[in-house]
Amino acid sequence: MKKLLAAVVAIGVIALMAWGFYQAMYVAPTDAAQGPAGRIFYYHVPHGMLCYLFFTVNFVASVLVLAWRRNYPGRALAADAWALSGAQVGVVFCSVVLITGPIWGRPVWGIWWTWDARLTTTLVLWLIYVSYLLVRRFAVGSEMQTLAAVLAVFGALDMPINYLANRLWRTQHPSPVFGGDPDAGLKDPRMLHAFGWNVLAWAVWGIFLLVIRVVVERRAQRIAGSEAEAALAAD
Amino acid sequence: MGHSYMVAAYCVTWVIQLGYVAFIAAKWFGQNSKLGGSR
Repeated sequence: MKKLLAAVVAIGVIALMAWGFYQAMYVAPTDAAQGPAGRIFYYHVPHGMLCYLFFTVNFVASVLVLAWRRNYPGRALAADAWALSGAQVGVVFCSVVLITGPIWGRPVWGIWWTWDARLTTTLVLWLIYVSYLLVRRFAVGSEMQTLAAVLAVFGALDMPINYLANRLWRTQHPSPVFGGDPDAGLKDPRMLHAFGWNVLAWAVWGIFLLVIRVVVERRAQRIAGSEAEAALAAD
Repeated sequence: MGHSYMVAAYCVTWVIQLGYVAFIAAKWFGQNSKLGGSR
């Protein structure tokens, strides 16, 4: 039953992704100023928006790890699985942002990269969560999860700075799609629809990956628990 | 010209996303061997 449900959900996610692709490539008109490279927007921007979502999952779960670690170790372990999964999926989405951005910038700006506030804080955000994953990978001992959770709480401070970077400072990066300059944003309703469908499709895809990653991590925790019990019994 | 950048960006997006799916799948099947069968 679970496998059937997973298969139905997977088919639904793939259909939504295909619809988003169709909207971005064939329905939305070509941007007059940017040409075909302007369509990179339909997957670059949703990835940027969604990496905030997954890093927020990591932040909330890390706070719960710290809150529950002494009195509710079982719950803290579950929260830790969500924290790890949120950081991993967030890094995947942030990597897409950092690579597709320069691919868009080269034909439109004439340069691959510039050290403006938005681009730099995005790179710093990526580095913070990569370092979080490296701490989890290489730190040993029972305090690893606590150490990682503390790093995640401080790391999350870069998110509002990154979000506000092109609102507070003059940047090479374009104005926000929503809530930015009155002249900026999507004017054509077909562009707006294509953008909306792609945000939805990538959100569903990302949440699907997140849930699967949590399931895999919970299994890993159960295996590690069984192995530890077996080792104790052998002594 | 802009078309090839668009295709490159789309390909990179899917290489990264599907690479992560492969990573999760490798973990899942590695766990199955430890759990003694597919679940």
